[in-house]
Amino acid sequence: MKAQLPEMGLKAVEAETDERLLIEAAQRDPRRFGELYENNFDRVYAFIASLVFDRSEAEDLTAEVFHQALAKLGQFEWRGTPFIAWLLRIASNAIADRWQKRSRYPEISDSDLEEPGAEDGTERRVMLAQLLEELPSDQKLVMVRRFLDQRSIRDIALELKRSEGAVKQLQFRALESLRNRMGEKR
Amino acid sequence: MSNQAIYEELDNAVNSLLQGDPAGVEQSGSAVGELLLLAGALREMPRPEFRSRLRLELQNEAARLSGSDALPHAARRGSLISVPGGASRRASDEQILPTLFGAGYGNYPVYRSNFVVSAVLHAAAIAIVLASSLWFAGHPQQVKQQVISLIGPGDYTLPAAKTKAGGGGGGGDHDKLAASKGSAPRFASEQITPPAIVVRNDNPKLAAEPTVVGPPDIKLPQTATLGDPLSRILTSSNGTGSGSGIGTGDGGGVGSGTGPGVGPGHGGGIGGGIYRVGGGVSAPRVIYDPDPEYSEEARQAKYQGTVVLWIVIGADGRAHDVRVSRALGMGLDQKAVEAVRSWRFQPAMKDGHPVAVQVNVEVNFRLY
Repeated sequence: MKAQLPEMGLKAVEAETDERLLIEAAQRDPRRFGELYENNFDRVYAFIASLVFDRSEAEDLTAEVFHQALAKLGQFEWRGTPFIAWLLRIASNAIADRWQKRSRYPEISDSDLEEPGAEDGTERRVMLAQLLEELPSDQKLVMVRRFLDQRSIRDIALELKRSEGAVKQLQFRALESLRNRMGEKR
Repeated sequence: MSNQAIYEELDNAVNSLLQGDPAGVEQSGSAVGELLLLAGALREMPRPEFRSRLRLELQNEAARLSGSDALPHAARRGSLISVPGGASRRASDEQILPTLFGAGYGNYPVYRSNFVVSAVLHAAAIAIVLASSLWFAGHPQQVKQQVISLIGPGDYTLPAAKTKAGGGGGGGDHDKLAASKGSAPRFASEQITPPAIVVRNDNPKLAAEPTVVGPPDIKLPQTATLGDPLSRILTSSNGTGSGSGIGTGDGGGVGSGTGPGVGPGHGGGIGGGIYRVGGGVSAPRVIYDPDPEYSEEARQAKYQGTVVLWIVIGADGRAHDVRVSRALGMGLDQKAVEAVRSWRFQPAMKDGHPVAVQVNVEVNFRLY
Protein backbone atom coordinates (compact mmCIF):
# COMPACT_ATOMS: atom_id res chain seq x y z
CA MET A 1 0.00 0.00 0.00
CA LYS A 2 2.84 2.33 0.85
CA ALA A 3 4.42 1.72 -2.51
CA GLN A 4 1.23 2.81 -4.21
CA LEU A 5 0.96 6.16 -2.48
CA PRO A 6 3.55 8.06 -4.58
CA GLU A 7 1.94 6.74 -7.78
CA MET A 8 -1.53 7.84 -6.70
CA GLY A 9 -0.19 11.25 -5.82
CA LEU A 10 1.42 11.53 -9.23
CA LYS A 11 -1.82 10.68 -10.94
CA ALA A 12 -3.71 13.27 -8.91
CA VAL A 13 -1.19 15.93 -9.89
CA GLU A 14 -1.44 14.94 -13.55
CA ALA A 15 -5.24 15.12 -13.45
CA GLU A 16 -5.08 18.49 -11.74
CA THR A 17 -2.68 19.81 -14.36
CA ASP A 18 -4.85 18.49 -17.19
CA GLU A 19 -7.95 20.11 -15.73
CA ARG A 20 -6.16 23.40 -15.26
CA LEU A 21 -5.02 23.35 -18.87
CA LEU A 22 -8.55 22.60 -20.00
CA ILE A 23 -9.95 25.48 -17.96
CA GLU A 24 -7.36 27.91 -19.28
CA ALA A 25 -8.02 26.78 -22.84
CA ALA A 26 -11.78 27.26 -22.36
CA GLN A 27 -11.21 30.70 -20.87
CA ARG A 28 -9.27 31.70 -23.98
CA ASP A 29 -11.76 30.05 -26.35
CA PRO A 30 -15.21 29.18 -24.93
CA ARG A 31 -15.64 26.57 -27.65
CA ARG A 32 -13.25 24.36 -25.67
CA PHE A 33 -15.80 24.20 -22.83
CA GLY A 34 -17.21 20.91 -24.23
CA GLU A 35 -14.58 18.72 -22.60
CA LEU A 36 -15.13 20.27 -19.18
CA TYR A 37 -18.84 19.69 -19.67
CA GLU A 38 -18.34 16.00 -20.52
CA ASN A 39 -15.97 15.45 -17.61
CA ASN A 40 -18.33 16.90 -15.04
CA PHE A 41 -21.85 16.27 -16.31
CA ASP A 42 -22.51 13.04 -14.39
CA ARG A 43 -21.41 14.44 -11.05
CA VAL A 44 -23.31 17.72 -11.41
CA TYR A 45 -26.50 15.96 -12.44
CA ALA A 46 -26.15 13.35 -9.68
CA PHE A 47 -25.65 16.08 -7.11
CA ILE A 48 -28.74 17.95 -8.21
CA ALA A 49 -30.87 14.78 -8.59
CA SER A 50 -29.94 13.67 -5.09
CA LEU A 51 -31.46 16.89 -3.78
CA VAL A 52 -34.49 17.54 -5.97
CA PHE A 53 -35.66 13.94 -6.68
CA ASP A 54 -37.40 15.03 -9.88
CA ARG A 55 -35.90 14.36 -13.28
CA SER A 56 -37.38 17.34 -15.16
CA GLU A 57 -36.31 19.75 -12.48
CA ALA A 58 -32.87 18.13 -12.24
CA GLU A 59 -32.44 18.56 -15.98
CA ASP A 60 -33.50 22.19 -15.87
CA LEU A 61 -31.12 22.92 -13.02
CA THR A 62 -28.25 21.06 -14.68
CA ALA A 63 -28.71 23.11 -17.83
CA GLU A 64 -28.83 26.29 -15.78
CA VAL A 65 -25.60 25.37 -13.96
CA PHE A 66 -23.62 24.76 -17.14
CA HIS A 67 -24.97 27.87 -18.82
CA GLN A 68 -23.93 29.93 -15.82
CA ALA A 69 -20.54 28.21 -15.71
CA LEU A 70 -19.91 29.00 -19.36
CA ALA A 71 -20.95 32.60 -18.91
CA LYS A 72 -18.81 33.09 -15.78
CA LEU A 73 -15.85 30.97 -16.82
CA GLY A 74 -13.69 34.07 -17.20
CA GLN A 75 -14.16 34.84 -13.49
CA PHE A 76 -12.87 31.45 -12.40
CA GLU A 77 -9.45 31.59 -10.77
CA TRP A 78 -7.40 28.47 -10.31
CA ARG A 79 -6.49 28.09 -6.64
CA GLY A 80 -5.99 24.36 -6.52
CA THR A 81 -9.65 23.59 -5.92
CA PRO A 82 -11.16 21.11 -8.36
CA PHE A 83 -13.36 22.58 -11.06
CA ILE A 84 -16.23 20.35 -9.92
CA ALA A 85 -16.33 22.16 -6.59
CA TRP A 86 -16.91 25.45 -8.40
CA LEU A 87 -19.67 23.83 -10.48
CA LEU A 88 -21.36 22.34 -7.43
CA ARG A 89 -21.29 25.72 -5.70
CA ILE A 90 -23.15 27.14 -8.68
CA ALA A 91 -25.55 24.20 -8.46
CA SER A 92 -26.11 24.77 -4.74
CA ASN A 93 -26.93 28.41 -5.39
CA ALA A 94 -29.26 27.55 -8.22
CA ILE A 95 -31.14 25.02 -6.10
CA ALA A 96 -31.36 27.48 -3.22
CA ASP A 97 -32.74 30.16 -5.51
CA ARG A 98 -35.28 27.71 -6.88
CA TRP A 99 -36.41 26.64 -3.43
CA GLN A 100 -36.61 30.15 -2.11
CA LYS A 101 -38.73 31.28 -5.05
CA ARG A 102 -41.15 28.50 -4.30
CA SER A 103 -41.10 29.34 -0.61
CA ARG A 104 -40.81 25.68 0.27
CA TYR A 105 -37.76 26.39 2.29
CA PRO A 106 -37.52 29.99 3.46
CA GLU A 107 -33.87 29.55 4.32
CA ILE A 108 -31.29 27.09 3.09
CA SER A 109 -28.50 26.13 5.39
CA ASP A 110 -25.08 25.02 4.22
CA SER A 111 -25.68 21.63 5.75
CA ASP A 112 -28.50 21.09 3.27
CA LEU A 113 -26.16 21.63 0.38
CA GLU A 114 -23.02 19.84 1.33
CA GLU A 115 -20.18 19.09 -0.99
CA PRO A 116 -20.78 15.88 -2.98
CA GLY A 117 -17.55 14.19 -1.95
CA ALA A 118 -19.20 13.43 1.33
CA GLU A 119 -22.57 12.88 -0.19
CA ASP A 120 -23.15 9.19 -0.51
CA GLY A 121 -26.24 9.67 -2.67
CA THR A 122 -24.30 11.63 -5.28
CA GLU A 123 -21.45 9.14 -5.46
CA ARG A 124 -23.96 6.35 -5.74
CA ARG A 125 -25.72 7.97 -8.65
CA VAL A 126 -22.45 8.69 -10.45
CA MET A 127 -21.41 5.08 -9.98
CA LEU A 128 -24.82 3.89 -11.18
CA ALA A 129 -24.54 5.94 -14.37
CA GLN A 130 -21.11 4.43 -15.07
CA LEU A 131 -22.20 0.88 -14.32
CA LEU A 132 -25.27 1.24 -16.52
CA GLU A 133 -22.95 1.80 -19.49
CA GLU A 134 -21.11 -1.44 -18.66
CA LEU A 135 -24.20 -3.66 -18.73
CA PRO A 136 -24.74 -6.14 -21.59
CA SER A 137 -26.54 -4.44 -24.45
CA ASP A 138 -29.92 -6.16 -23.97
CA GLN A 139 -29.98 -5.46 -20.23
CA LYS A 140 -28.91 -1.87 -20.77
CA LEU A 141 -31.65 -1.36 -23.37
CA VAL A 142 -34.28 -2.71 -20.97
CA MET A 143 -33.03 -0.38 -18.21
CA VAL A 144 -33.06 2.66 -20.48
CA ARG A 145 -36.50 1.91 -21.91
CA ARG A 146 -38.05 0.96 -18.58
CA PHE A 147 -36.69 3.66 -16.28
CA LEU A 148 -35.34 6.50 -18.40
CA ASP A 149 -38.04 6.38 -21.09
CA GLN A 150 -40.58 4.87 -18.64
CA ARG A 151 -42.02 2.45 -21.18
CA SER A 152 -44.19 -0.54 -20.28
CA ILE A 153 -42.96 -4.13 -20.29
CA ARG A 154 -45.27 -4.88 -23.21
CA ASP A 155 -43.82 -2.06 -25.34
CA ILE A 156 -40.28 -3.20 -24.61
CA ALA A 157 -41.17 -6.82 -25.42
CA LEU A 158 -42.58 -5.71 -28.77
CA GLU A 159 -39.47 -3.68 -29.54
CA LEU A 160 -37.11 -6.51 -28.60
CA LYS A 161 -39.38 -9.17 -30.18
CA ARG A 162 -39.24 -11.18 -26.96
CA SER A 163 -41.85 -12.34 -24.51
CA GLU A 164 -42.92 -10.17 -21.61
CA GLY A 165 -41.60 -12.82 -19.21
CA ALA A 166 -38.18 -12.63 -20.85
CA VAL A 167 -38.14 -8.84 -20.53
CA LYS A 168 -39.09 -9.09 -16.84
CA GLN A 169 -36.25 -11.53 -16.36
CA LEU A 170 -33.83 -9.14 -18.09
CA GLN A 171 -35.09 -6.33 -15.85
CA PHE A 172 -34.40 -8.41 -12.77
CA ARG A 173 -30.99 -9.57 -13.98
CA ALA A 174 -29.92 -6.04 -14.85
CA LEU A 175 -30.93 -4.58 -11.47
CA GLU A 176 -29.32 -7.52 -9.70
CA SER A 177 -26.11 -7.05 -11.68
CA LEU A 178 -26.06 -3.31 -10.88
CA ARG A 179 -26.59 -4.04 -7.18
CA ASN A 180 -23.79 -6.62 -7.10
CA ARG A 181 -21.31 -4.41 -8.94
CA MET A 182 -22.07 -1.44 -6.73
CA GLY A 183 -21.48 -3.67 -3.71
CA GLU A 184 -18.12 -4.72 -5.13
CA LYS A 185 -17.00 -1.13 -5.73
CA ARG A 186 -17.91 0.15 -2.28
CA MET B 1 -40.23 -18.34 -3.99
CA SER B 2 -39.64 -19.24 -7.62
CA ASN B 3 -37.65 -17.04 -9.97
CA GLN B 4 -40.76 -16.29 -11.98
CA ALA B 5 -42.56 -15.07 -8.88
CA ILE B 6 -39.64 -12.79 -8.02
CA TYR B 7 -39.66 -11.31 -11.52
CA GLU B 8 -43.38 -10.63 -11.22
CA GLU B 9 -43.08 -9.12 -7.75
CA LEU B 10 -40.27 -6.85 -8.87
CA ASP B 11 -42.18 -5.73 -11.95
CA ASN B 12 -45.30 -4.96 -9.94
CA ALA B 13 -43.23 -2.90 -7.53
CA VAL B 14 -41.49 -1.11 -10.43
CA ASN B 15 -44.90 -0.29 -11.94
CA SER B 16 -45.99 1.23 -8.65
CA LEU B 17 -42.75 3.18 -8.45
CA LEU B 18 -43.08 4.57 -11.97
CA GLN B 19 -46.73 5.48 -11.34
CA GLY B 20 -45.88 7.19 -8.07
CA ASP B 21 -47.82 4.75 -5.94
CA PRO B 22 -45.95 4.45 -2.60
CA ALA B 23 -48.40 1.89 -1.23
CA GLY B 24 -47.56 -0.53 -4.03
CA VAL B 25 -43.85 -0.06 -3.38
CA GLU B 26 -44.19 -0.68 0.32
CA GLN B 27 -46.04 -3.93 -0.27
CA SER B 28 -43.06 -5.46 -2.04
CA GLY B 29 -41.03 -8.04 -0.17
CA SER B 30 -37.49 -7.80 1.06
CA ALA B 31 -36.24 -9.85 -1.90
CA VAL B 32 -36.71 -6.90 -4.24
CA GLY B 33 -36.30 -4.05 -1.75
CA GLU B 34 -32.68 -3.28 -2.62
CA LEU B 35 -33.39 -3.52 -6.32
CA LEU B 36 -36.21 -1.00 -5.97
CA LEU B 37 -33.81 1.53 -4.49
CA LEU B 38 -31.71 1.20 -7.62
CA ALA B 39 -34.83 1.43 -9.79
CA GLY B 40 -35.75 4.68 -8.05
CA ALA B 41 -32.30 6.12 -8.77
CA LEU B 42 -32.49 4.98 -12.38
CA ARG B 43 -35.85 6.68 -12.77
CA GLU B 44 -34.24 9.99 -11.86
CA MET B 45 -31.35 9.67 -14.32
CA PRO B 46 -31.36 12.13 -17.23
CA ARG B 47 -33.07 11.21 -20.48
CA PRO B 48 -30.57 9.88 -23.03
CA GLU B 49 -31.04 12.79 -25.42
CA PHE B 50 -30.77 15.45 -22.72
CA ARG B 51 -26.99 15.29 -22.40
CA SER B 52 -26.30 15.66 -26.12
CA ARG B 53 -28.85 18.45 -26.50
CA LEU B 54 -27.40 20.43 -23.65
CA ARG B 55 -23.94 20.01 -25.13
CA LEU B 56 -25.20 21.29 -28.47
CA GLU B 57 -26.78 24.28 -26.83
CA LEU B 58 -23.57 25.04 -24.94
CA GLN B 59 -21.60 24.78 -28.17
CA ASN B 60 -23.86 27.35 -29.77
CA GLU B 61 -23.55 29.60 -26.76
CA ALA B 62 -19.77 29.17 -26.76
CA ALA B 63 -19.63 30.01 -30.46
CA ARG B 64 -21.65 33.17 -29.79
CA LEU B 65 -19.40 34.16 -26.87
CA SER B 66 -16.26 33.62 -28.89
CA GLY B 67 -17.59 35.99 -31.54
CA SER B 68 -17.75 33.44 -34.34
CA ASP B 69 -20.83 32.36 -36.15
CA ALA B 70 -19.71 28.84 -36.73
CA LEU B 71 -23.16 27.43 -36.22
CA PRO B 72 -25.53 30.12 -37.48
CA HIS B 73 -28.38 27.73 -38.05
CA ALA B 74 -28.15 26.19 -34.63
CA ALA B 75 -27.88 29.59 -33.02
CA ARG B 76 -31.15 30.64 -34.60
CA ARG B 77 -33.00 27.81 -32.92
CA GLY B 78 -34.94 28.43 -29.76
CA SER B 79 -34.00 27.11 -26.36
CA LEU B 80 -33.89 23.36 -26.14
CA ILE B 81 -34.21 23.34 -22.38
CA SER B 82 -37.56 23.91 -20.80
CA VAL B 83 -37.57 26.72 -18.26
CA PRO B 84 -39.33 26.47 -14.90
CA GLY B 85 -42.93 27.50 -15.04
CA GLY B 86 -43.46 26.91 -18.76
CA ALA B 87 -42.14 24.30 -21.10
CA SER B 88 -41.17 25.46 -24.52
CA ARG B 89 -43.37 24.14 -27.28
CA ARG B 90 -40.38 24.05 -29.58
CA ALA B 91 -38.56 21.82 -27.14
CA SER B 92 -41.40 19.30 -27.05
CA ASP B 93 -41.66 19.32 -30.84
CA GLU B 94 -37.97 18.63 -31.23
CA GLN B 95 -38.17 15.75 -28.81
CA ILE B 96 -40.71 14.10 -31.08
CA LEU B 97 -38.72 14.36 -34.32
CA PRO B 98 -35.36 16.05 -33.86
CA THR B 99 -34.23 15.70 -37.48
CA LEU B 100 -37.33 17.45 -38.80
CA PHE B 101 -37.08 20.37 -36.40
CA GLY B 102 -33.39 20.86 -36.87
CA ALA B 103 -31.69 19.53 -33.77
CA GLY B 104 -30.57 16.12 -34.97
CA TYR B 105 -29.55 13.28 -32.74
CA GLY B 106 -25.88 14.08 -32.60
CA ASN B 107 -23.77 17.14 -32.05
CA TYR B 108 -24.44 18.64 -35.46
CA PRO B 109 -27.65 20.39 -36.49
CA VAL B 110 -29.77 19.09 -39.33
CA TYR B 111 -31.02 21.59 -41.87
CA ARG B 112 -34.71 21.39 -42.66
CA SER B 113 -34.03 22.05 -46.33
CA ASN B 114 -31.92 18.89 -46.50
CA PHE B 115 -34.73 16.92 -44.96
CA VAL B 116 -37.25 18.29 -47.49
CA VAL B 117 -34.96 17.69 -50.47
CA SER B 118 -34.33 14.13 -49.32
CA ALA B 119 -38.05 13.49 -48.93
CA VAL B 120 -38.81 14.91 -52.39
CA LEU B 121 -36.08 12.86 -54.05
CA HIS B 122 -37.28 9.68 -52.39
CA ALA B 123 -40.87 10.40 -53.42
CA ALA B 124 -39.77 11.00 -57.02
CA ALA B 125 -37.78 7.77 -57.10
CA ILE B 126 -40.72 5.79 -55.76
CA ALA B 127 -43.05 7.43 -58.32
CA ILE B 128 -40.71 6.49 -61.19
CA VAL B 129 -40.50 2.89 -60.04
CA LEU B 130 -44.28 2.62 -59.68
CA ALA B 131 -44.98 4.31 -63.03
CA SER B 132 -42.55 2.09 -64.94
CA SER B 133 -43.94 -1.03 -63.25
CA LEU B 134 -47.49 -0.06 -64.22
CA TRP B 135 -46.42 0.68 -67.80
CA PHE B 136 -44.71 -2.68 -68.19
CA ALA B 137 -47.72 -4.44 -66.70
CA GLY B 138 -50.09 -2.66 -69.10
CA HIS B 139 -48.06 -3.04 -72.31
CA PRO B 140 -46.92 -6.66 -72.53
CA GLN B 141 -46.95 -6.70 -76.35
CA GLN B 142 -44.69 -3.68 -76.68
CA VAL B 143 -42.32 -5.21 -74.17
CA LYS B 144 -42.17 -8.45 -76.10
CA GLN B 145 -41.52 -6.66 -79.37
CA GLN B 146 -38.66 -4.85 -77.83
CA VAL B 147 -37.17 -8.08 -76.60
CA ILE B 148 -37.52 -10.40 -79.59
CA SER B 149 -37.92 -9.61 -83.27
CA LEU B 150 -38.69 -12.14 -85.97
CA ILE B 151 -37.82 -12.10 -89.63
CA GLY B 152 -40.15 -14.50 -91.38
CA PRO B 153 -40.34 -15.61 -94.96
CA GLY B 154 -41.86 -12.31 -96.06
CA ASP B 155 -44.52 -11.50 -98.66
CA TYR B 156 -42.41 -11.00 -101.75
CA THR B 157 -42.08 -13.57 -104.53
CA LEU B 158 -38.69 -14.39 -105.92
CA PRO B 159 -38.18 -14.25 -109.70
CA ALA B 160 -38.05 -17.59 -111.46
CA ALA B 161 -34.69 -19.32 -111.73
CA LYS B 162 -33.61 -20.12 -115.24
CA THR B 163 -33.15 -23.83 -114.76
CA LYS B 164 -34.52 -24.74 -111.35
CA ALA B 165 -37.74 -24.37 -109.40
CA GLY B 166 -37.48 -27.20 -106.94
CA GLY B 167 -39.55 -30.33 -107.10
CA GLY B 168 -39.30 -33.03 -109.70
CA GLY B 169 -41.06 -35.97 -111.17
CA GLY B 170 -40.64 -39.31 -112.75
CA GLY B 171 -42.39 -42.00 -114.63
CA GLY B 172 -42.01 -45.01 -116.88
CA ASP B 173 -44.12 -47.83 -118.15
CA HIS B 174 -42.42 -50.85 -116.64
CA ASP B 175 -39.94 -51.40 -119.51
CA LYS B 176 -37.07 -53.73 -118.81
CA LEU B 177 -34.59 -51.15 -120.00
CA ALA B 178 -33.89 -47.86 -118.38
CA ALA B 179 -35.18 -44.73 -120.07
CA SER B 180 -33.23 -43.58 -123.04
CA LYS B 181 -31.38 -40.30 -123.28
CA GLY B 182 -33.16 -37.26 -124.69
CA SER B 183 -34.55 -33.91 -123.69
CA ALA B 184 -37.49 -33.32 -121.43
CA PRO B 185 -40.59 -31.80 -122.97
CA ARG B 186 -41.45 -28.19 -122.29
CA PHE B 187 -42.95 -27.11 -119.00
CA ALA B 188 -46.60 -26.25 -118.71
CA SER B 189 -48.89 -25.38 -115.85
CA GLU B 190 -51.02 -28.44 -116.50
CA GLN B 191 -50.19 -31.74 -118.03
CA ILE B 192 -52.55 -33.23 -120.59
CA THR B 193 -50.33 -35.82 -122.12
CA PRO B 194 -47.33 -37.27 -120.30
CA PRO B 195 -44.14 -37.64 -122.33
CA ALA B 196 -43.28 -40.99 -123.86
CA ILE B 197 -40.37 -42.26 -125.95
CA VAL B 198 -42.07 -45.41 -127.04
CA VAL B 199 -45.57 -44.38 -128.03
CA ARG B 200 -48.03 -47.15 -127.40
CA ASN B 201 -50.99 -45.49 -129.08
CA ASP B 202 -50.11 -44.20 -132.52
CA ASN B 203 -53.57 -42.88 -133.27
CA PRO B 204 -54.99 -41.07 -130.27
CA LYS B 205 -58.48 -39.66 -130.62
CA LEU B 206 -57.39 -36.28 -129.33
CA ALA B 207 -53.74 -35.58 -129.86
CA ALA B 208 -51.99 -33.22 -127.42
CA GLU B 209 -48.42 -32.09 -127.00
CA PRO B 210 -46.62 -33.97 -124.20
CA THR B 211 -45.55 -31.65 -121.37
CA VAL B 212 -44.29 -31.83 -117.82
CA VAL B 213 -45.57 -29.71 -114.95
CA GLY B 214 -43.38 -26.84 -113.88
CA PRO B 215 -42.90 -23.11 -114.30
CA PRO B 216 -43.51 -22.28 -117.97
CA ASP B 217 -40.83 -19.60 -117.74
CA ILE B 218 -38.13 -22.23 -117.49
CA LYS B 219 -36.80 -23.13 -120.89
CA LEU B 220 -34.84 -26.35 -121.12
CA PRO B 221 -32.67 -27.25 -124.13
CA GLN B 222 -34.82 -29.12 -126.60
CA THR B 223 -33.76 -31.83 -129.05
CA ALA B 224 -35.77 -33.80 -131.50
CA THR B 225 -35.91 -36.80 -129.22
CA LEU B 226 -37.74 -36.94 -125.94
CA GLY B 227 -36.02 -38.77 -123.10
CA ASP B 228 -34.37 -38.54 -119.72
CA PRO B 229 -31.62 -35.88 -119.85
CA LEU B 230 -29.65 -37.76 -117.22
CA SER B 231 -29.71 -41.14 -119.00
CA ARG B 232 -26.91 -42.62 -121.09
CA ILE B 233 -29.01 -45.29 -122.73
CA LEU B 234 -29.56 -44.87 -126.40
CA THR B 235 -32.01 -47.74 -126.92
CA SER B 236 -35.51 -46.42 -126.96
CA SER B 237 -37.29 -47.15 -123.75
CA ASN B 238 -39.77 -45.36 -121.47
CA GLY B 239 -37.93 -46.69 -118.45
CA THR B 240 -38.64 -49.02 -115.59
CA GLY B 241 -40.85 -46.64 -113.69
CA SER B 242 -44.64 -46.53 -113.54
CA GLY B 243 -47.58 -44.27 -114.09
CA SER B 244 -46.57 -43.25 -117.65
CA GLY B 245 -43.87 -40.72 -118.41
CA ILE B 246 -40.16 -41.44 -118.74
CA GLY B 247 -37.65 -42.74 -116.22
CA THR B 248 -37.51 -44.79 -113.08
CA GLY B 249 -39.93 -42.81 -111.01
CA ASP B 250 -43.67 -42.57 -110.85
CA GLY B 251 -46.34 -40.15 -111.90
CA GLY B 252 -46.10 -38.98 -115.52
CA GLY B 253 -42.95 -36.91 -115.35
CA VAL B 254 -39.37 -37.44 -116.44
CA GLY B 255 -36.70 -38.88 -114.18
CA SER B 256 -36.45 -40.68 -110.88
CA GLY B 257 -38.84 -38.61 -108.82
CA THR B 258 -42.53 -38.70 -108.18
CA GLY B 259 -45.06 -36.60 -110.01
CA PRO B 260 -45.37 -34.79 -113.33
CA GLY B 261 -42.13 -32.77 -113.14
CA VAL B 262 -38.53 -33.47 -114.12
CA GLY B 263 -35.80 -34.84 -111.91
CA PRO B 264 -35.40 -36.52 -108.55
CA GLY B 265 -37.89 -34.42 -106.57
CA HIS B 266 -41.59 -34.72 -106.30
CA GLY B 267 -44.79 -32.84 -107.05
CA GLY B 268 -43.77 -31.24 -110.34
CA GLY B 269 -41.09 -28.72 -111.28
CA ILE B 270 -37.42 -29.40 -111.68
CA GLY B 271 -34.31 -29.22 -109.56
CA GLY B 272 -34.86 -31.79 -106.86
CA GLY B 273 -36.29 -31.55 -103.39
CA ILE B 274 -39.41 -29.57 -102.71
CA TYR B 275 -40.61 -26.26 -104.14
CA ARG B 276 -38.91 -23.04 -103.23
CA VAL B 277 -40.52 -19.66 -103.31
CA GLY B 278 -40.30 -18.09 -106.76
CA GLY B 279 -40.93 -19.20 -110.31
CA GLY B 280 -44.69 -19.20 -109.89
CA VAL B 281 -44.64 -20.41 -106.30
CA SER B 282 -46.02 -17.77 -103.95
CA ALA B 283 -44.53 -17.18 -100.53
CA PRO B 284 -46.34 -18.61 -97.52
CA ARG B 285 -47.85 -15.99 -95.21
CA VAL B 286 -47.70 -16.21 -91.43
CA ILE B 287 -51.15 -16.03 -89.87
CA TYR B 288 -50.31 -17.07 -86.27
CA ASP B 289 -46.86 -16.44 -84.87
CA PRO B 290 -46.50 -16.41 -81.11
CA ASP B 291 -43.13 -15.00 -80.04
CA PRO B 292 -40.48 -17.32 -78.67
CA GLU B 293 -39.48 -16.94 -75.06
CA TYR B 294 -36.04 -15.95 -73.87
CA SER B 295 -34.30 -18.79 -72.10
CA GLU B 296 -33.51 -18.06 -68.45
CA GLU B 297 -29.87 -18.98 -68.95
CA ALA B 298 -29.45 -16.53 -71.81
CA ARG B 299 -31.37 -13.80 -70.00
CA GLN B 300 -29.11 -14.05 -66.98
CA ALA B 301 -26.03 -14.01 -69.19
CA LYS B 302 -27.48 -11.09 -71.24
CA TYR B 303 -26.82 -13.19 -74.35
CA GLN B 304 -28.10 -11.93 -77.71
CA GLY B 305 -27.99 -12.99 -81.34
CA THR B 306 -29.86 -14.50 -84.26
CA VAL B 307 -31.01 -18.07 -84.86
CA VAL B 308 -31.62 -19.12 -88.46
CA LEU B 309 -34.08 -21.97 -88.98
CA TRP B 310 -34.56 -24.06 -92.08
CA ILE B 311 -38.18 -25.13 -92.27
CA VAL B 312 -40.59 -26.72 -94.69
CA ILE B 313 -44.04 -25.19 -94.69
CA GLY B 314 -46.43 -27.85 -95.82
CA ALA B 315 -49.61 -27.56 -97.82
CA ASP B 316 -51.44 -27.85 -94.49
CA GLY B 317 -49.94 -24.55 -93.33
CA ARG B 318 -47.84 -26.11 -90.58
CA ALA B 319 -44.09 -26.08 -90.14
CA HIS B 320 -42.48 -29.43 -90.86
CA ASP B 321 -38.92 -30.61 -90.67
CA VAL B 322 -37.67 -27.66 -88.63
CA ARG B 323 -33.89 -27.59 -88.55
CA VAL B 324 -31.45 -25.17 -87.04
CA SER B 325 -29.39 -23.67 -89.85
CA ARG B 326 -27.39 -21.29 -87.67
CA ALA B 327 -27.34 -22.00 -83.96
CA LEU B 328 -26.99 -19.51 -81.13
CA GLY B 329 -26.84 -21.75 -78.07
CA MET B 330 -27.78 -21.18 -74.41
CA GLY B 331 -31.22 -22.69 -75.00
CA LEU B 332 -32.27 -20.06 -77.54
CA ASP B 333 -32.20 -22.53 -80.48
CA GLN B 334 -34.67 -24.79 -78.71
CA LYS B 335 -36.89 -21.84 -77.82
CA ALA B 336 -36.92 -20.70 -81.45
CA VAL B 337 -37.75 -24.22 -82.73
CA GLU B 338 -40.55 -24.62 -80.20
CA ALA B 339 -42.08 -21.31 -81.23
CA VAL B 340 -41.87 -21.95 -84.98
CA ARG B 341 -43.45 -25.38 -84.61
CA SER B 342 -46.53 -23.67 -83.21
CA TRP B 343 -46.80 -21.18 -86.06
CA ARG B 344 -49.57 -21.43 -88.66
CA PHE B 345 -49.20 -20.30 -92.27
CA GLN B 346 -51.29 -19.60 -95.29
CA PRO B 347 -49.40 -22.10 -97.45
CA ALA B 348 -47.45 -21.28 -100.57
CA MET B 349 -49.54 -21.51 -103.72
CA LYS B 350 -48.65 -22.79 -107.14
CA ASP B 351 -51.22 -22.68 -109.90
CA GLY B 352 -53.94 -22.16 -107.35
CA HIS B 353 -52.98 -25.17 -105.26
CA PRO B 354 -51.20 -25.16 -101.89
CA VAL B 355 -47.74 -26.68 -102.10
CA ALA B 356 -45.00 -27.38 -99.61
CA VAL B 357 -42.07 -24.96 -99.78
CA GLN B 358 -38.80 -24.59 -97.95
CA VAL B 359 -38.00 -21.22 -96.34
CA ASN B 360 -35.49 -19.84 -93.90
CA VAL B 361 -36.64 -17.99 -90.80
CA GLU B 362 -34.46 -15.70 -88.72
CA VAL B 363 -35.25 -15.27 -85.04
CA ASN B 364 -33.50 -12.30 -83.42
CA PHE B 365 -33.04 -12.39 -79.68
CA ARG B 366 -32.26 -8.97 -78.24
CA LEU B 367 -32.26 -7.64 -74.70
CA TYR B 368 -33.00 -3.95 -74.08
